[in-house]
Amino acid sequence: MKMDLEQLRKTAAEVVSRDDVKYLVGWKQGTYGYRVAPGFIEDAAGAAELIFSPLCTANLATYLTLVEQLPVPRGEEPDDRKAALMVKGCDSRAVTQLLVEKGIERDDVVIIGCPCPGVIDADLLAEKYPETEDLAEMKWDGEDFLLVRDGEETKIARDELLAEKCRLCRYPNPVISDIMLDQEVETWELAEDEGVQEIEGKDIDERTDYWAEQFEKCIRCYSCRNVCPLCYCQDCVLDRLNPTWVNRSVNFSENTAFNIARAFHLAGRCIECGECERVCPANIPLGKLNRKLAREVRDKYGFEPGVDPEAEPFQASFKPDDPEDFIL
Amino acid sequence: MSANFEPNIVAFLCNWCSYAGADLAGTSRVNYPSNIQIIRVMCSGRVNPLYVMNALQQGADGVLVSGCHPGDCHYMEGNYYARRRLGMLKDLMEFVGVDPKRFHMSWVSASEGHKWKEVVEKTVEDAKEAGPFEGFRRRKIEW
Repeated sequence: MKMDLEQLRKTAAEVVSRDDVKYLVGWKQGTYGYRVAPGFIEDAAGAAELIFSPLCTANLATYLTLVEQLPVPRGEEPDDRKAALMVKGCDSRAVTQLLVEKGIERDDVVIIGCPCPGVIDADLLAEKYPETEDLAEMKWDGEDFLLVRDGEETKIARDELLAEKCRLCRYPNPVISDIMLDQEVETWELAEDEGVQEIEGKDIDERTDYWAEQFEKCIRCYSCRNVCPLCYCQDCVLDRLNPTWVNRSVNFSENTAFNIARAFHLAGRCIECGECERVCPANIPLGKLNRKLAREVRDKYGFEPGVDPEAEPFQASFKPDDPEDFIL
Repeated sequence: MSANFEPNIVAFLCNWCSYAGADLAGTSRVNYPSNIQIIRVMCSGRVNPLYVMNALQQGADGVLVSGCHPGDCHYMEGNYYARRRLGMLKDLMEFVGVDPKRFHMSWVSASEGHKWKEVVEKTVEDAKEAGPFEGFRRRKIEW
């Protein structure tokens, strides 16, 4: 399958020229190497910059809630035009979850769905094919990836570079969209979640040691929270000073508290887009925490976030027959 | 760890059932271990999972959350929410290496003084088995 860029740009130009659309958020070529930047397109001409390739890992749904809400000057009408958003399968689940939580209104967003055959892991790519200053392009080529750099084409096997989140992806096609850009892709065979299983195989002391080593590395940059499309509280408990739940000091105790609190606040909400792990400068495997919780929610409570926009939020609902085997 | 280690346990009890249950245990002169420090909350649903984490950070060796039996909540459904949240928290804590013996949840009604005794005994015994909590306790900085 390959994405038709012409069609994508044409559709984007049509959407962005609509009177009720303020801007469109998509992916565009970055400034060097494998970089892909989010593109904020405000007119039809700008749509020519848009791309969709295996390098488009970023989850753009986070920009829906990051918009600064400035007070409207007296005598002026608020600009309530919509934002258009390009989404992959995982991103569309973030949008759905935002709708469930009433973080956004359905009428405030135009969703352009891009069925996604799986994106690459940028770290793996840079390791195997070192990044240069030259702009590189990537394409889907049947089952594999095609790297185009300096007019040279390299075919790379899909399994070599596929991101971990995509190996475990059950929703490659957008679950919600106004405009679908292409044919739906076929879902693929899921890999075993080895990262989580490996930790579950350890005993308590080994787990403590494993996570101590990981959390020691945390520099508390809050990137994981900031990039997360579902961490959009105006008054975040991790920032709060009175009461101070998590101290500012960077040490093992506070880092662990920070990471537990962050992961817990995504229990039953995380849609496993893997952004937290991708942006982590200390390479902490945050995805394992999230995936473990997501799996518990799925197996024990039969709930899956970000699939049904009409669903009740997981932590704000209950079933009388929820499991209670842990209760004394 | 020493054999005569006495754990600190923080217990969050709901005002309507478990606190009254513990009170009943007291007025009925039921003997139970004195390692429990009780914090009264209006409902087990009020127990923010961060309370549990914070208690462990600040020196507790074990945490107990106790509320009304399902269906008996004074606020109709608070304990159902608590069950969901704290169940998830227990899974997460276990995953990051906090011994599951350190965190317990129970349903104790206002007439169950003897059940309260059993719950406390079980909690203290488990916390003793798990030993002093060294995991992510806040350490005092010596300048």
